[in-house]
Amino acid sequence: MRDSLPAAPGIVAWGLVTGVAMVKSGLAVHWALLISLLVYAGSAQLATLPLIVAGQPFWIISFAAFVTNLRFVIYSASLRRWFDQFSLRRRAVLGYFTGDFTFAMFMQRARREGDFAYRDAWFLGACGFNWLVWQVTSIVGILAATAIPSEWGLQFAGTLALLALAIPLCLEWPGLAGAAVAAPIAVMARGLPFGLGLFAGIVAGICAAVAVDSLVARRKS
Amino acid sequence: MNINMLLVTVGMVLATFMTRAALLLAGRRFKLSPRVEAGLRYAPVCALAVLIVPEVVVQAGSVNLSFANPRLVAALAATAFFLWKRSMVGCIVVGTVIVVAFRML
Repeated sequence: MRDSLPAAPGIVAWGLVTGVAMVKSGLAVHWALLISLLVYAGSAQLATLPLIVAGQPFWIISFAAFVTNLRFVIYSASLRRWFDQFSLRRRAVLGYFTGDFTFAMFMQRARREGDFAYRDAWFLGACGFNWLVWQVTSIVGILAATAIPSEWGLQFAGTLALLALAIPLCLEWPGLAGAAVAAPIAVMARGLPFGLGLFAGIVAGICAAVAVDSLVARRKS
Repeated sequence: MNINMLLVTVGMVLATFMTRAALLLAGRRFKLSPRVEAGLRYAPVCALAVLIVPEVVVQAGSVNLSFANPRLVAALAATAFFLWKRSMVGCIVVGTVIVVAFRML
């Protein structure tokens, strides 16, 4: 638990903003609480807010959450080497509670110490601590938001939190290319039904990013 | 009971659990090719871009790229601040203060 303290201020801020943004975007308090407790994915919760508010059907919202979460597939690909001797149930629990911070912390320690003992317990402890801090702060945010006037426009804080998440990813050429291709398509095609504009933007963006990625790799070799 | 919100919640739980746990559950049997891995690596930034940018530039249904658009000004200032200080909290505070200030004026 002591190891996970450095991440706490970031999680506190992120949790508060997510809680406030969910309610200020017009989500009922009970839905905001339920989504926060069950989904436990801050970036996906914030990213899907405009879609939920616009009344998009659930499969589009789930798809957007899925793509936003695809980074976790990479995480779990790196994690499984350390956990594949544990039981299926244990791995499901570890997977459910993986977060950005806990993953980064675990990989640091695993690289330093290799197959250290009780790593599943250590990982679960770090995840549990993060889960608790996150849940408490986002519930505080949800409840506090009911006291804040809507005219302040605080729902935009959620978009700004996502922006802080996206900028570091755009500091590499492939990420920047992906975002630069995806965003204008989504803006121009925003009128299309079934979230096709989002879908087209994401697919074109990924293609652009992968193309630039292989260009960069070729230049290096 | 709001059926659509219930489906949204269930869908988001599944989407999150699948991305986090599927490969852990599959063990070592399942290998990712480098190209698939590159695609997965860049998918989130593309998703963030298509969700953030319309929120910033579309105002009441049409694109507004002028400095009269509070969200655009706020997002640009927040980006500049983040690049300068590398602070997520600062980025959120700067942008929020600008949006609130626009409303008060």
